[in-house]
Amino acid sequence: MPTLYDFDLSADCYKVRLLAAILGIPYDRHNVDFFPGMKHLSPAFLAVNPLGTLPVWDEGDLRLCSAHAILVYLAERHAPGGPWLPRDPALAGEVQHWLGFAEGLATSAGAARLAAGMEFDLDLAAAQARAHQLFERMDEHLWFREREGGNWLCRTLQPTLAEIACFPDVMLSEEGGIAREDYPALRRWSDRVKRIPGFEVMPGIFPAKIGA
Amino acid sequence: MSDMTWVPVANASDLAPRHVFQGRLLGQELAIWRADDGNVNVWENRCLHRGVRLSIGVNTGSELVCQYHGWRYANRNAGCTYIPAHPADAPPHTICNRTWPALEQDGLIWTHFAPVDPPRPESLGAGALALRPQPVAAAPELARAVLAGLSPEGFGPLGQDLVASGPAGRLRLMVQAADAGRAVLRGLVLSDEAPLPLLRRLSLVLRLARDEIERRAATLPVPAPIPHRSERVAPELAEMPEMVSGPARIRVRVAKKQIVGEDIVALELAGLRGTLPASQPGAHIDVALPNGLLRQYSLVNAPGETDRYVIGIKREAQSTGGSAAIHDSLAEGDLLAISEPRNNFTLRRDAEETVLIAGGIGVTPLLSMAAALRDEGLPFTLHYFAASAETLAFGERLALLGERMVPYLGLDAAQTTLALQGILKGPGADRQVYVCGPAPMLDAARATAAEAGWPEAAVHFEYFANTREIDTSSSFRIELARSALSLEVPAGRSILSVLQEAGVAPPSSCSQGACGTCMVRLLEGEPDHQDVYLTGAEKAAGEKILTCVSRAKSDRLILDL
Repeated sequence: MPTLYDFDLSADCYKVRLLAAILGIPYDRHNVDFFPGMKHLSPAFLAVNPLGTLPVWDEGDLRLCSAHAILVYLAERHAPGGPWLPRDPALAGEVQHWLGFAEGLATSAGAARLAAGMEFDLDLAAAQARAHQLFERMDEHLWFREREGGNWLCRTLQPTLAEIACFPDVMLSEEGGIAREDYPALRRWSDRVKRIPGFEVMPGIFPAKIGA
Repeated sequence: MSDMTWVPVANASDLAPRHVFQGRLLGQELAIWRADDGNVNVWENRCLHRGVRLSIGVNTGSELVCQYHGWRYANRNAGCTYIPAHPADAPPHTICNRTWPALEQDGLIWTHFAPVDPPRPESLGAGALALRPQPVAAAPELARAVLAGLSPEGFGPLGQDLVASGPAGRLRLMVQAADAGRAVLRGLVLSDEAPLPLLRRLSLVLRLARDEIERRAATLPVPAPIPHRSERVAPELAEMPEMVSGPARIRVRVAKKQIVGEDIVALELAGLRGTLPASQPGAHIDVALPNGLLRQYSLVNAPGETDRYVIGIKREAQSTGGSAAIHDSLAEGDLLAISEPRNNFTLRRDAEETVLIAGGIGVTPLLSMAAALRDEGLPFTLHYFAASAETLAFGERLALLGERMVPYLGLDAAQTTLALQGILKGPGADRQVYVCGPAPMLDAARATAAEAGWPEAAVHFEYFANTREIDTSSSFRIELARSALSLEVPAGRSILSVLQEAGVAPPSSCSQGACGTCMVRLLEGEPDHQDVYLTGAEKAAGEKILTCVSRAKSDRLILDL
């Protein structure tokens, strides 16, 4: 059984839990008290991942230490050729674009959340301003995707890893003081993500249905 | 005034099925949603219960359900249809969210705040397309001024009415005054051009206009937001018992955990931010432990020791999880949620002499009292009963009391009673006695004080457990005055558990009549007090009841719930 080194409140860890839940992938969960325990910097965890980052996916002799790497691995391992990581060259490129975009969300909206909610010494105002710029671009992109008849970030009929990678830092943005009131298309998209079969919540993210 | 005409607040396409759109007009937050029957609702964006935004709630197609406590509001009339905490009751008609008129025209959703409907806005014509709305962080008047100077390619100059006609077609821009310093640029276009490229082109026009507007706004003072106008939530609704987070609201960090006696640890709890609320000698806090239990601990704090709360916890042999969780699992750096300090054991400072009697870990509130009395130079003695010298807690604090701390070590029940008779032999109107410790010792002190002729009001007790046998054989009705509920309490069940089942329970903690957390006001009926929390006088007055153990001697009780 693979092991996920995990922290409940981590947006990056949630990406992995979310895809694993949707694809029905079983794993053992090993909690690492990132905050307030700072256990990701403990010698025991640094022996697992010298980078001291979460999540870590440990499966046999494979050890992957970044959320997006784990998403790619899980999609190819458990749903090869499936909709989450399209093989079509253009669509594969689009997915990579959004995985990169999601890194930007992590260092803006995600950083704001660490500064506002977990007392990390980061420039909150700069992170918030950058997050608003990215949200605005995402909102415009999604507004026109809707006009084209599309529901998802990439020009696919089904959600891809782009959704999984971008969703957590968008949905948790209010914990970093970033309201999404000005981004109605982004809000509709996040409702659609919540309705993906197998969707799982985390603290701070509500379901889109009653009794889901 | 723009609130006296119809103004666009959303695109029709914003109202996706089962979605709740979040909008804003003149500082008023709006929750806008389309029911499955097509009706568009424009509501105030807050649940009447606790003010939570309805835009994070769930659109069921016929109702909007608040994400927080599940209050449901109906399509159209916004009346509350169901309150999960009152499953047996129809919500009163007065619980109705605030609504505004909705008009759908030209692919836009319009509303207004006028007392009567203004004339409908002029339609741009069949086939009009709504532009992508563009939010702007600037005063609406400034946005309007910048738009009036635009001349989009193919449409020509807009002018004051923000309307232009040209070879590309007809264009009308509008400014939604979201707030004093926030606007949304909206627009309609009627054209023969292919829609998507046209919408992209005009979206860029609005985005560049936004940049220009915000550039100009940066040189001006930021307007103060329009004060939020919202209807008051009825006080009886606002005071309904908290169901989610409980009474523990303050987050603290375990700054220090140290052994201060045999099987006794002290925790120093530091606030995560800001200052901790004030406490007085005798006060206690509720501590929400990581294993889900809520426990009361007296504060040991001396006067001025306000940067942290200090509590002492003895490992109890028959621990139900509280003391064991702290001793074994809690570490320095861990976070805890605690309540504000509450004081049911108030120290009078007008006594000629104060007698403090501690049994075991019951010393904690008395240490706080002793430190306060010492600081003020008031006469007192702390009589401290403990099993052995090793079990005396907080040696450093005790040392500061010098000879005013008198230890009594290893006494059996008879010896303890004898010692208490010695301590309590001279009653006096100007002497006050405070006793905290295990129940047998408190009972002995109570009996001794009564025999010695102490007035009840001069002897104060703090129990940490109620060891009396609770008689649950009676059965009776309880009427809840504010909830208009009538419930049956059968033999074998507590009032509290019946209230919990009905979803209207007060906060509770020890479940044994010792802590006072679950106390409610009694309006009518004869109570059967079985707690050790209320004083004899309070019990005789019959105005309060502890719902976890106390019952009724009469057929029914009317509670202020």
